[in-house]
Amino acid sequence: MVSIDHYLVLATFMFLCGTLGVLFRRNLLMVLMSIELMLNAVNLVFVSGSRLLGNLDGQVMVFFIITVAACEAGVGLAMVIALFRRYGTVDTNFLRVLRG
Amino acid sequence: MTQELVFLAFASLIAICSMMVILSRNAVVSAIFLVGDLFCLAGLYASMEAHFVAAIQVLVYAGAIVVLFMFVIMLLNLGPDQRKHLEVSAPEIGVLGLTIVGFLVIGGLLLLGQPTGVTGPLTAEAIDNAGGNTYTVGMVLFTKYLWPFELASMLILLAIIAAIVIAKKEHIKDGDKRRLAHG
Amino acid sequence: MGLTELIEVLSSDTAIQVIASIVKILIVLVLCLQVPPLMVWAERRAPAMMQRRKGPNRVGLFKFRLYGLLQSAADAVKLIFKEEVVPRGANKAVYHIAPIFGVFTAMMVACAIPYGNDISVFGQKVSLSPIHLDVGFLFIFAISSLAVYAVTLAGWASNNKYSLLGSLRASAQMISYEIPLGMSLIPLVVIFGTLDLNKMVLAQSAYPWSWGVVKAPISFLLFLVCMFAETNRAPFDLAEGESELVAGFHTEFNSAKFAAFFLSEYVAMFVLSCLAATVFFGGWQTPFIPYETLLSLLGGMEWLAALAGFVCLIVKAAFFMWVYVWVRWTLPRFRYDQLMSLGWKFMLPVGLVNLLVTTLVVAFIENAGRH
Repeated sequence: MVSIDHYLVLATFMFLCGTLGVLFRRNLLMVLMSIELMLNAVNLVFVSGSRLLGNLDGQVMVFFIITVAACEAGVGLAMVIALFRRYGTVDTNFLRVLRG
Repeated sequence: MTQELVFLAFASLIAICSMMVILSRNAVVSAIFLVGDLFCLAGLYASMEAHFVAAIQVLVYAGAIVVLFMFVIMLLNLGPDQRKHLEVSAPEIGVLGLTIVGFLVIGGLLLLGQPTGVTGPLTAEAIDNAGGNTYTVGMVLFTKYLWPFELASMLILLAIIAAIVIAKKEHIKDGDKRRLAHG
Repeated sequence: MGLTELIEVLSSDTAIQVIASIVKILIVLVLCLQVPPLMVWAERRAPAMMQRRKGPNRVGLFKFRLYGLLQSAADAVKLIFKEEVVPRGANKAVYHIAPIFGVFTAMMVACAIPYGNDISVFGQKVSLSPIHLDVGFLFIFAISSLAVYAVTLAGWASNNKYSLLGSLRASAQMISYEIPLGMSLIPLVVIFGTLDLNKMVLAQSAYPWSWGVVKAPISFLLFLVCMFAETNRAPFDLAEGESELVAGFHTEFNSAKFAAFFLSEYVAMFVLSCLAATVFFGGWQTPFIPYETLLSLLGGMEWLAALAGFVCLIVKAAFFMWVYVWVRWTLPRFRYDQLMSLGWKFMLPVGLVNLLVTTLVVAFIENAGRH
């Protein structure tokens, strides 16, 4: 029988992968993708929780998370393009100045 | 038995894909593995009777968001990551250590405490009787969560405007002026 | 295991469903593999007809030329047995995966179309679409939105500027036109009140005046335009505009991989044609003969009724396939900015207004019915 623990362990692993990606990759696009990974780990927890508890609020939350993820990706990628235009790189090591 | 097999298959694929997303040097390959990840997650959702969320996951995440990522990767046409060694600073090691400790604590708590078996009214049969997963999710979304839903639509509108403003070329204004000047 | 035990296992309910699923998947697979050769033939003969020339008519069996029908078979054999050349700078793994992605998504969507009404096999109700879901509609959207990866990855992996330009164009185009496509089909979901394609066909009944095309004509027109854009077909075939991009995203592909792109393009066309027939033209319903009447006419043989429905669906889909060919040889190609402004500035607003009006009308009728 697959219990909620299994799903939680899997989600934890995904979240860990996402965290490591955000911390150690230097490409801004990779950082954004790792954030998507983390959001998905949370989604998995929500859906399995919704199944365990027998109510649909968790699934509705996933719907909202996907909405927010779409916005985040759109704005984030726009910023990546703007940064690339200005500095010619998307490496976080070279993007250390907050001034324009 | 089937449930276990489905979980095992999807879970191992998800684990492999998640690792490959952060390990591969090439951003496009990472994006491909991210798609695989999202697809397997959708399979897992479907095995949990959350059909609507599964379909939305593939439709929006895999079909739109990651395509956008890929589009930008190709637009910038970045080569693979040339760096051989990871350059890690002291604060990053600290954060990593804290993260791992946090996960260990969570894992320990998971092993110690059994999930409280609070079962709500909506079992799989109840949902089927009420008109299927999509219908019930729709009912919850448009009654209990109506205002958050409307707020989410405002958020999307704001994000669209923000993305256009940020990504717009800066010299477009001059070009417009020139075009206007020439009649 | 003895024979009696084997028979017992094979006749259990689960086993019947599993075997039925395998048979259905095989049938759909074989059906899809028949589409490209026939379409290739049609796409050579139809323009020949329009341009008053003969077209390929030589290849046949012995003395029977069969209007050149076997030309496609010869082409298929040639494509499969040709030597495969992989460009030196290509990203090998992605280059090999990309065509598979295309075929996979196209075939998977083909499995969600209802090819007939449910039939009973040994007392078990078997649906005539291999993947029968209550969110079948969303499933089709979801999987067909993955088709863009085949084109995108193909262009990127072949390390060629023309290919990359073609795939960038294709991905932007397919994402843009997915939105009007969805907007054109949601009114139908509102009208028929279901996401299950078979229930949608049942709700349309056998009489043409209750079909989707009569109830939502604007949706149909929008869908018709999006159909061409989603499959990258003329007049929206900018992804492979040969006058500027050589052959676009599949410039560097040859032999069996090129054939795979061919296959996925034609199967995608076939699936969208089937979807148009299912949603707007009553799917497997035989015109003017309701299913019950048909069943009693055929002496209660569900198999024959299902076959009749299948033939009806294929005939309706074949009409749309013909429209694809017809339009290709009639209209010139769009310019890219025209394509984008058509999608975003015209189709999307019209789709939104159409959805709003349809929803209001449906709500009004339902309210009136309640009082």
